[in-house]
Order: sequence, then C-alpha cells, then structure tokens
Amino acid sequence: MSKKVSRRQFLTYTLGGTAGFFASTMLFPMVRFAIDPVLKEGGGVGFVEAGLSEKDVTDTPQLIHYDVEAVDGWYEFIEKRTAYVFKNDKGKIVALSPTCKHLGCTVNYNGNPKFKNEFFCPCHFGRYFKDGTNVPGTPPLKPLDEYETKIENGRLLIGPVVKA
Amino acid sequence: MLRAIYDWVDERLDITPIWRDVADHEVPEHVNPAHHFSAFIYCFGGLTFFVVLIQILSGMFLAMYYVPDIINANESVKYLQDEVAMGAIVRGMHHWGASVAIVMLFLHTMRVFFTGSYKNPRELNWVVGVLIFFVMLGLGLTGYLLPWDNKAYFATKVTIEIVNSVPFIGEYIGLLLQGGDIVGAQTIARFFAIHVFFLPAALLGLLGAHFIIIRRQGISGPL
Amino acid sequence: MSHKHDGKMEQVHYVGDSRVRAKKDKFRTPDYAEFPGNNEAFLPDFLLKEWMVGAVFLVAFMTLVMAHVPAIGEVADPTNSSFLPVPDWYFLFLYQILKYKWASGDFNLVGLLLPGFAFGALLLAPWLDRSNERRVLKRPIASSIMILSLISIIYLTWAAEAEHIEQLESAPPEAPETTDVVAVEDEGYKLYSESACITCHGENLEGKNGPSLLGVGNYRTAEEIDRYIVEGKNGMPAGMFQGTPEQREVLVEWLLKQQQK
Repeated sequence: MSKKVSRRQFLTYTLGGTAGFFASTMLFPMVRFAIDPVLKEGGGVGFVEAGLSEKDVTDTPQLIHYDVEAVDGWYEFIEKRTAYVFKNDKGKIVALSPTCKHLGCTVNYNGNPKFKNEFFCPCHFGRYFKDGTNVPGTPPLKPLDEYETKIENGRLLIGPVVKA
Repeated sequence: MLRAIYDWVDERLDITPIWRDVADHEVPEHVNPAHHFSAFIYCFGGLTFFVVLIQILSGMFLAMYYVPDIINANESVKYLQDEVAMGAIVRGMHHWGASVAIVMLFLHTMRVFFTGSYKNPRELNWVVGVLIFFVMLGLGLTGYLLPWDNKAYFATKVTIEIVNSVPFIGEYIGLLLQGGDIVGAQTIARFFAIHVFFLPAALLGLLGAHFIIIRRQGISGPL
Repeated sequence: MSHKHDGKMEQVHYVGDSRVRAKKDKFRTPDYAEFPGNNEAFLPDFLLKEWMVGAVFLVAFMTLVMAHVPAIGEVADPTNSSFLPVPDWYFLFLYQILKYKWASGDFNLVGLLLPGFAFGALLLAPWLDRSNERRVLKRPIASSIMILSLISIIYLTWAAEAEHIEQLESAPPEAPETTDVVAVEDEGYKLYSESACITCHGENLEGKNGPSLLGVGNYRTAEEIDRYIVEGKNGMPAGMFQGTPEQREVLVEWLLKQQQK
C-alpha cells in the first residue's frame, strides 16, 4: 500500500491542525491565567521590624509579637504574628514560628515543666527541641517553621519562612 | 392564533419531527408507576433533573444580589435573605435544593445499580452519570464557601488541607483551588467562578449527553 | 431533485430555496392502539404521571424550604480558633475517615486512597461487574460490595454527626459580657497561671487555643471541672494540670467562682 496522503486526508489533517491552533491560541492565555497562583513566586512578606534590638536576643527563646503587612491578591491587611527568637549555640539568631506542625495549635517554650528546654504543644503533646526539630515519637512529623532573620542598625528584622 | 404561528414556523423549519421524536417515544409498562407502584423508583432520575432546574433558576436569581468578595459576600447573603422580599425562600430553595439534589441523585444511582441497568450496552451512560455525580459534589463543595461565614471558611480550609495532603500533586492542586497564599479574597472569587460557570457548563454538557444516550438506547428492560 | 441509491430520480420539493423539505402530508400522531400492551406515549400520557409525582415532590420541597430558613453565620473570622469546622452533611463520611488513626498522620494515604478507590470503582462498575446478570441476588459480589459501602457510608456519616454534636454541646455557651477574671488574687489563679492551663485558656481566661473559661462557673459543676482537668476533654489531653490533688481542689474552687454575667 502506498503511503500517499489523499486529498481528503490532507484536508482533514489541515482541519485538525487548524482546530488545534484555535484551541491552543485561545486556551493558552486562559490556562496560564488560571494557574498563575501556582507559578507565581511567593511575593510573600519582606523583612519587618520585630520590635527588638539585637542585644536583647538571649539564648533562651522569647516570644515576640509583630505586625506583617500581608497581601492576598488585591486585598491588603495587617497580620499579627508571633515568633520565638533566640541565639543558638553558634550565636546565630533563630526565629521559630510557634505554630505546631501537627494540627496548627500554638506551642510554648518550656510549656510543660516535665520537658525542659523544649517546645511543647498542649493539644496532643507534640514536642520540639530548642532548635525546632520535632521530637521523634510525638505527633508532629516536621520541624517548626523557621523565619529568616537579619540585623539592620542593631535592630532585629524578621522575614519570610525559610524554605526547606 | 398560536396554532397559526406554529404552522407558519413549522412550514419553514419542519420542527415537528424534532419534538415528536421525544413526545411519541414508547414508555414501557415496567417503569410506569400507574401500573406497578414499585416503579416509582424510576422517577428519581426525573426528580433529580427537576431539582437541578430549581438550582439553576434560583442560583441565577441569587446572583442578582450576591457579591463574591470577602468584605461583602456575607453581608450580601444576609441582605438578600433578610431584607429582600422572598429572600429566605429563594435562598432556601438553593440551600435545601443542594441537599435534595444529592439525595435524589444518590437514589437514582442506587436504582440503576441495583436493577443492573448499567450493564452492556449502557456502560457509557453509567460513566456519564457518575461524572454528573462528581460535578454535583463539586458544586456542593464550591457553593458551601460562598456565604463566607465561619462554617464556610473553616470547612473550606479543612478541604484544602486535605487536598494538600495528597502526595506529589496535592500542594499544587490546593494552591490552584486557593488561588493565593491563604483562603481569602482570591479563593472566594475562584470558587464563585467554578460554582457558577465552569461546573454548570460541564453539568449541562453531561446532562445533554445523558439524555441523548437514553433516548437512543431506550430505558433498560424489565428484570 | 435528489438521487436515490438505486440511481432512480425522485421528485423532492423544498420550501423556497431552503434545505427544508416541503411537507407532503401532515405529521401523524400515533394512535394509542399502536402501543403494545400497557406501553404508552411519553407525551402526554407518561409525562403527566411523572408531573403528578413532581407536583407532590414540589409541595414537600417548598414546605421544607418554608419551614426551615437556611442558617447564615457571622462573617468568616480566620483568627477564631475555637470554631469547629464541619463540612456539608454529604461530605461527612469522607471527613470522618480521615479522623481515624489508621487513616491519618503517617497513614494519611489510606484515608485518601480508600474513597479514591471506591469512587473509581463506582465509575468503572460496568467493567468490574461484566456478567449479563442483572438481578441483585444473582450477582452477589457486586451487590454485597455496594451494600457494605452503603452501610459504611451511613455509619461514618452518623459517627461524624454524633461526634460533632457532642463537641458542640461540650463547647461553652456564648461569651459573657463581663470579661473580668474573678478573684485574681486567689491561690487558684496562681496555680492556673503556673500550670499549662494558661497557655491555652489565656491569661484572662479569654481562651486561645482552647475555649474561654469566662463564666465557666455558670454552667459547670465542681465534679465536671475536676473530671475534665483529670481526664482531658476534646483537644485537651489528660493530666495537663500537674499539681497535687489538694492544689487541684483549690483550682476547681477558683474556677467555680468565675460566674461572669
């Protein structure tokens, strides 16, 4: 059998090709438009003043409250956030989110006298070491979120969550 | 007068055979509740369609007052329900209709399953029917968020967290549904678009296919 | 003019220059006698019966609509940490699966795959149950799987609803108007603030991760409070208060004094 394309087949293929052109031309911008949230770089939050100067940060985690200007699309609002701030063994300043990675309750440092120097979640007894790592065998499966930190003019600034 | 108008149109377009095909098709005795009372189980499909019509109509009218926006959504629903005449009825029809549609659809599915009507040669219509079921669940899920009260908000948060927990693709789908970093302004806009445009369009297409297939194949025979 | 397959010509008339064929004779409505047995025409005979059913249905439906005004809650507040999330009733069974230990945490996949397979099987039912047998009893496997699924769906829905109602009932009533803690100077408050209680119920009993305890004295007895402290309740695990029984008694006494209006 010859592999020659008949006139009818050729026209049909051309028709199919043109249909593909129509569909892709129309749908490409629409689909890109719809999936933008997935592809968009998390504009996220920049660094904000934590209300604390560098020298106030101690070896013991302390809970600080600060405001972040959050943006949800076109909607801007002030989000109240909290973080545990301390200097680790290497002298680096660490800021941990107190939100438990199990079901989102709030953890407390030394929240339970039985577990010294650990973060404790009262909801289901989740525990984290001082560096935020989850204690194996307790409900959380991931370490606490860590915020980026930086020092400017002696003041502590807190940034977005460090991506693992 | 009406007759004359019909004849005038029919003479030019020959529309009679189109609707006569539907009108004159034979309905067998075993699905007719007038002959066997137990045949009422064959009514569930029709009743589901009836509720879908109620949903489409009431939804169109609700959209005259509803605003899909985190600041105004809850207020607009309260307004249309409490201040607008018959508001509680129209929203009530849409609210209860959603539940009743699911119940009817469920009963219809069970009827088809337990009478074995999904078997050869009606496999395709079963698949279309189950897809309609999925679309209806999707409509229920997206519609639940729109009043933007605490119930709506927290249920949607849980839903998105469940989606996020799907391995590999879950977080992308979750983000796609959420439309932003949080369940918020972009989520409600998205859910609204899905609820009133995307899913109803899919539903109408599937319903059309469902009805064309049943007309071509006829209803399954008696057991 | 049109060509028939046998090549003979047949005269066809069209309406004007359109493609619509001109009618030779009027369309004939089939006679009742043409339907065999008790079969009948869809319109108007059968449709009328369906519409009778529809009318009864609509009356029932509108009665439901008028009897029950749909609820509308307060505007969504993302900072409300004590709100109990609950999906619409027809999703409860899916939600309930994820609460079980064997389908959450490390086994989360089970909770996702189980309903995934179930719905997938529903979609592909014609290819899973291929016999030509249609009667329920003559295809026992398909029927029993479906009946088992129905029973589990009903059970899961019921379990989810029962749990939700229980949690709602145990949630404290609306927040009282006065928000001052009674007897802050008491030994009880000291115990309260030194234990883990304060981290969830708040410095001023306003409630943080846990519910507010303002007005707890209005609706709880000493025995109840004592039991909850010892055994835990909802999100609160047992043994959160680690003082002596005597101290616990002091704490309960102080909590009973919290009778805010």
